[in-house]
Amino acid sequence: MDWSVLLAQATINGLIVGLLYLLMAVGFTLVFGVMRMVNFAHGEFYMLGAVSAYFLTTWLQLPFLAAVAVTFFGSVLFGGLLEWLILQPFRRDELNGMIVTIGMAMILQNLALILCGPDPLSMPAVVEGTLQVAGIFIPYSRIYVVFFALLVLALLYGYLKYSRPGRALRAVVEDFEIASIQGIRARIYYPLGFGLGVGLASIAGALMAPLFSVSPFVGATPLLKAFIVVVLGGLGSIPGAAFAGLVLGLIESYASLFFSSSTADMMIFALVMVMLVLRPKGLLGKGEV
Amino acid sequence: MAHFSMPCSSLGRKEWGLLSLLGVLAIWPWFMGAFVLHLAILTSLNVLIVNGLSIIARSGQLSFGHAAFAAVGAYVSVLLSVEFGLPILLTSAIGLLMAALVALLLGWVILRLKGVYFVLVTFSFGELMRLALLDWGELTGGANGIANIAPITLFDFAFDSRSRFYALALLVAFLSMLLMRRLFASHFGQAIDAVYENPALAESTGLSVHRIQIVAFVLGSMLAALGGILQARYIGYISPESFNPGISVAFITMLVIGGQRSVWGPLVGALLLTPLPELFRGAVHTQNIFYGAALILILRFMPGGLASLMSLFKRTEDKK
Repeated sequence: MDWSVLLAQATINGLIVGLLYLLMAVGFTLVFGVMRMVNFAHGEFYMLGAVSAYFLTTWLQLPFLAAVAVTFFGSVLFGGLLEWLILQPFRRDELNGMIVTIGMAMILQNLALILCGPDPLSMPAVVEGTLQVAGIFIPYSRIYVVFFALLVLALLYGYLKYSRPGRALRAVVEDFEIASIQGIRARIYYPLGFGLGVGLASIAGALMAPLFSVSPFVGATPLLKAFIVVVLGGLGSIPGAAFAGLVLGLIESYASLFFSSSTADMMIFALVMVMLVLRPKGLLGKGEV
Repeated sequence: MAHFSMPCSSLGRKEWGLLSLLGVLAIWPWFMGAFVLHLAILTSLNVLIVNGLSIIARSGQLSFGHAAFAAVGAYVSVLLSVEFGLPILLTSAIGLLMAALVALLLGWVILRLKGVYFVLVTFSFGELMRLALLDWGELTGGANGIANIAPITLFDFAFDSRSRFYALALLVAFLSMLLMRRLFASHFGQAIDAVYENPALAESTGLSVHRIQIVAFVLGSMLAALGGILQARYIGYISPESFNPGISVAFITMLVIGGQRSVWGPLVGALLLTPLPELFRGAVHTQNIFYGAALILILRFMPGGLASLMSLFKRTEDKK
């Protein structure tokens, strides 16, 4: 195989993984922006999304898309409820709020372990077959997933950009105090922001479930990636998270051509440290320092 | 400032009672057989490590890579002994220095930024340390770890039995408690507390918030490294999973449940949570759900942790 094909293949794979990181990191940074809270349970919501998609399609025999939709709306509601019941007293309390989300993560992961056991489950592919263009192989199932991830992003963009609640949410992320002076009610937007972040994590999990295996432990890696993406993109910056997510996916994919995956991870960590020294506001320069 | 320097002189009768109770509790394991001794050793090491975490936390930062610093200490000292046959005191000193150096570099970079970056980066650092140890298999033994680590031998006296090692672990834990009391009664300790209470005000009175937080981070991480070194020598085995981010979270759980703002917090947390898994044996998941719920409930209803019960105790005495 020659280099151009290899590089093209790596680019495709990198973009797919990058989309996953992007969905995770945008939800994460949204929650941070609204609640001022590092959400350590974010990876567990990814896991819940994957588990929910698995059981909805295999047990209830729902079609994949219906399962993804049910998962998304279910987790927005679930997230909103969790915020209202548990996180409410800890809003904008950075340190304690973060520890509370660790408690939530422990509870969610271990409940999942009790309910479905530690063994990885594999979900059947959504569609069979492989597309072959100019020597590059792309399984249709991946194209499918990429298509719907992009659709989700377009819908999210439209929602945040044009709808009233979406604009209010962005205002809260931008500047909480000025937003509340303008009459934006925190009572509604805290649960909504958290629920939406949770929904994004779980839809990432649901979409990726047919590509990777499903188990109560799958949340750890996406959480770590979301951390790295958010630091690279600048904390609290949604466009920064989107851009850095794709960049991280691509870098990892190219690096895997030359190095072992943990060497690549360490190089990315070094990159993160360099970024923090040289440009702490993030790649697009919109984050908070 | 004389009244700050001698906290011990003002102990009331109830506190003396408490201290003698602790003393009895510390001696008790020697008469209870191997299993209780084992738990007592682990508890003492956890007191030391969580004390380190407490120093960092009291400067207003929460380290999610605390176990990774224990790993730095343990691996550096063990590898130097195994590969070059250096004496234990020297390898331990180098292990501590390495942990301090790593903390200094990380701290210098991240502590200039908002607190959240510290959380994100220390967590990633912890995970990467695990990956690195897994990856450098030729040196670190990879997932198999390093087994048959020789016990500590000082001046021809080997701490090779549980009752001997417990004496050492207890002494170190006691010294770390003493260090905490001294530190937070000193000017520097007050500066740390001032930085936590109000960084802007601390800065305006001439304290360097950045420098104080770095020193707290370095000092706390060195205590973790010392804990790692001792643990490696006691158990005789280390692997990347002995120091994974889950362990860091366990230290945080101990600190929060014990009490973040009290000198007694780490002691209470370690004393309570180290033996607890034995009650839940065979039900690890239930145990973790219990931990999670305890974290949330403690923060909601008792943000000072269980140690705050003690000051309640004291206050009622004062009122009389």
